[in-house]
Amino acid sequence: MIELRGQTLSYGPAVVLENVTLTIRQGERVALLGRSGAGKSTLLAAIREKAMVAGKEVALVPQDNALVPQLSLFHNVHMGRLHRHSALYNLVTLLRPFRRDRAEVSELTRELGLEPPVDQPVERLSGGQRQRTAVARAIHGGGEVLLADEPVSALDEKQAPEVLATLISRFPTSVISLHDVGLAQAYCTRLVGLKDRRIIFDMPAGEQNAADIDHLYAR
Amino acid sequence: MLPTSIISMPAEREAKPSLRRLQVVWIALTLAALALFAADLQISAPSPGAVLKALAMGFARPDFAALENLRQALLLTLTVAFGGVAIGAVAGFAMALLWGWRAVRMLSLSLRSVHELIWALFIMTVTGPEPIAAVLALALSYSGIFAKVFGEILDEADPRPRDALPGRGMTLSGLIYARLVPSLPAFWSYFCYRIECGIRSSAVLGFVGLPTLGFELDTLFKQGRYDGAAAVLLLIYALILSQSLWLRRRLVPLYVLGALAYLASLSQGPVSAAGLWQLIGVDMVPAPLRGADPGAAGTWRAFGDWLWRLVSHEVLPGAWATVLVSYLAFVLCGIIALFAFPLIVPALAGRIGSGFGHVVLVILRSTPEYMLVFVGVQVFGPSMLPAVLALGLHNGAIIAHLIGREATRIVPGLRPDRPKGAGLYAYELVPRVSSGLIAYLFYRGEIILRESMILGILGIATLGFYVDSAIATLRFDRAAVLVVAMMLLTALVDWGSRALRRRLRVGAASTRPYC
Amino acid sequence: MEFRLNRRQLVGGLAAAAALAPLASRAAEVLRFSAIPDEDATKLMGRFTKVAEYLSDKLGVPVEFVPVKSYPAAVVAFRNDQIQLAWFGGLSGVQARLALPGSVAIAQGEEDARFVSYFIANKATGLTEGPDFPMAAKGRSFTFGAKTSTSGRLMPEYEIRRNTGVAPEEFFSRVGFSGDHTKTVELVQSGAYEIGAVNFTAYDDMVAKGQVDPAEVPVIWRTPAYPDYNFTLRGDADEKFGAGFTERLTTAILGMDDPEILGAFPRSRFIAASNADYQPIEEVARQLDLLD
Repeated sequence: MIELRGQTLSYGPAVVLENVTLTIRQGERVALLGRSGAGKSTLLAAIREKAMVAGKEVALVPQDNALVPQLSLFHNVHMGRLHRHSALYNLVTLLRPFRRDRAEVSELTRELGLEPPVDQPVERLSGGQRQRTAVARAIHGGGEVLLADEPVSALDEKQAPEVLATLISRFPTSVISLHDVGLAQAYCTRLVGLKDRRIIFDMPAGEQNAADIDHLYAR
Repeated sequence: MLPTSIISMPAEREAKPSLRRLQVVWIALTLAALALFAADLQISAPSPGAVLKALAMGFARPDFAALENLRQALLLTLTVAFGGVAIGAVAGFAMALLWGWRAVRMLSLSLRSVHELIWALFIMTVTGPEPIAAVLALALSYSGIFAKVFGEILDEADPRPRDALPGRGMTLSGLIYARLVPSLPAFWSYFCYRIECGIRSSAVLGFVGLPTLGFELDTLFKQGRYDGAAAVLLLIYALILSQSLWLRRRLVPLYVLGALAYLASLSQGPVSAAGLWQLIGVDMVPAPLRGADPGAAGTWRAFGDWLWRLVSHEVLPGAWATVLVSYLAFVLCGIIALFAFPLIVPALAGRIGSGFGHVVLVILRSTPEYMLVFVGVQVFGPSMLPAVLALGLHNGAIIAHLIGREATRIVPGLRPDRPKGAGLYAYELVPRVSSGLIAYLFYRGEIILRESMILGILGIATLGFYVDSAIATLRFDRAAVLVVAMMLLTALVDWGSRALRRRLRVGAASTRPYC
Repeated sequence: MEFRLNRRQLVGGLAAAAALAPLASRAAEVLRFSAIPDEDATKLMGRFTKVAEYLSDKLGVPVEFVPVKSYPAAVVAFRNDQIQLAWFGGLSGVQARLALPGSVAIAQGEEDARFVSYFIANKATGLTEGPDFPMAAKGRSFTFGAKTSTSGRLMPEYEIRRNTGVAPEEFFSRVGFSGDHTKTVELVQSGAYEIGAVNFTAYDDMVAKGQVDPAEVPVIWRTPAYPDYNFTLRGDADEKFGAGFTERLTTAILGMDDPEILGAFPRSRFIAASNADYQPIEEVARQLDLLD
């Protein structure tokens, strides 16, 4: 479905990953693991590039959320679906949301445990609430592939698994970078470990041993 | 109302000025000394003291009875400002959306490099001396400025929200939600701030015969009624200094609508498309080409002769005078800024002294420079002297104000055993503010150039003098060539200053502080 | 994509501009008239509001005086039909009639048939009046009036070139343009300029009213006579205000005998004029490159 073959990925002038070969198949839930700076975000960007060239509909949860702080929670979530409506519809929505859309978004945010009213500006939300807004935006937009970069990093131990489960369940295929190995093993079907500018393991979830993991996070 | 972050500076801004920078300063001063010889700086009025005294007497006893007749001029000054700036903002916004296009950037540069007074001279020939001419002149000039600033704001907008959308948000809706909406507060803030500039510009437009406050000031001065003139000047100060009280952002939309409604209600002489066509399609076509056979060799030879005569007799002398005046004013501005900023630093001038310093700088920087030069010409007679003095003082005071504020903020953070007085000034403050000072100086330099061109209207032989003459003899073809010369000179100086800034490693001051 | 939005915004901008277009509408047939601002504004208002009343009375048409700030503004307003009648100088009249073919010079002051300019000097120069061009003024500072004034610029410059053989900037140390005659007299009186060229009626009027002391600012030379000021009317006036309007207006102007109105110009009386009377001015203007 998405295939990288022997690619070298750079971030600016610095080479981040060398000679990467990776194939994502339909229906997989892939977790990218590795220390920060190992190249997870760069790999996700490369996968997104490939997926877009292949004409796939991609939903994204970026690490920095990339919300518009001045807009309301509702509008930020609606932004995931801008491409499904006409410009006029979106313009009207900007001024005054349609009731049906509002109800749908409210339902979704409730499901994700977001308490604030949907017309609250995003700049007044807490870090965890913003992250869930970004998640809601991806879910609302939908698509064939989810690419998420640390989508639950700002959430507590109770919320993180719930939100992750909801998110993953809405997409047939997903690639998610995570720093929590436990979550990865619980919710993903395949784990990919990045270290020293290359992929050091790539296997179904549950087949890793403790040494693999220790080696991944060792200095 | 000023945006807070004004300068973008390279990382080494805390470093002392490098030797190279000092070398450039010496070269600049030497050039200025040479320019002093080339420039006409005579005091042609034999008794400038007498005029100054009469003016001071006028200020001592301003004749506010004259204000009775000023109500209409005051109302028009304000409505023209709001209307002109609003239309300029809408047009500038449209251009900003196409900022990626080179043609749009060129258009914006051309529009803003020509002063609104010059635009007004042209527009008045179609509309007559009516408020609509002032509105359009302001709108033309300001749309170029708005296009640039709005374009920059859009460029600076956080690209991530748009990029995160499906398909990287490359749709109209993506642009609106992720780019425009986040930029709106910055647009609005800049628009409100530009209104303040618009009020000054609008008042000054009266000097070329439009019915705003400048008209009254010009008339009263020419009649030697200094008490009345003083009253008008005081009114203009009151208007500018009280802005923080009545120019509330919430009220701005109301003011704009009110102004447009008022302007629309004014009766206006006929403005025919024919008149506009006559100006652009006939009058502005170079005389040798009008109705001539474009295939004939003689036509183009005549055009060449015509153009060469114009370039050698008017463009080059005008450009030379413009460069001289601007350069001298530029150097004077730097000197004044350097020596005047301590006036408002309490650690240097004392609390009372700095209060007094603030008053001096406020007066200098809130008087529109054109008015300062106008008063200077009344006092000293027409030469480059009043132009250089007024432009140097006005712009120097603006920079001194900005730098003085920065220095005041720096002082409390200095080591406890810091030097005092001259030592504090020379060793602690000047090195720290020098990068900012140079950045501001370059930015004001562009404004000085733009202003010195139009001072020709006051009889100083810069490019504006020749434009004014060409229009006086109804030769709009020559005026058009001269305006193009203004644009080229602006572009040339802009290019040179950018190159010099790069070599000096000084960041660009944003175009946002002060008019 | 961005392009679509921009179109839309451009349309918005045009709509805003169009909202202002109704400014161009105008009511009833009013005869609007103006004059070149050759003297300061108070004098002009005093002079022309009375003329407006008089003409309105005689013609039965509302007449409105529209003050303008500059000579070219008067000419352009005339060409654009913002004014229909104007009191022009010799040169501005020629400019106006060339700009608007069909328009006619209908009247001039008796003095205007044989107008002269004075060269005046500050007393401190020690120059005195003589019959010949004051060659002793060489190297001094000099001011004209407005750039396209006939008596303050055109004819004085013509005489300077004819008598000295060089351009004014070469003969004098410094050459300025004061803007109007009142200002010229003031500038020479204050010494800002040592010498000036001024409309003789304006100067004599200021002397008569005690606004200037001829001992302080003596006349040092009088130019040869030339035709100057005139009332010029648009060629379509008869269509607009009714047949025979041009004739009735001319008669009304020639019939002005109120000493107060005449004194405001100041002219002793008005006489008929024609476009041909100003042929000499047109020729001089072409020589001096003030007309193409």
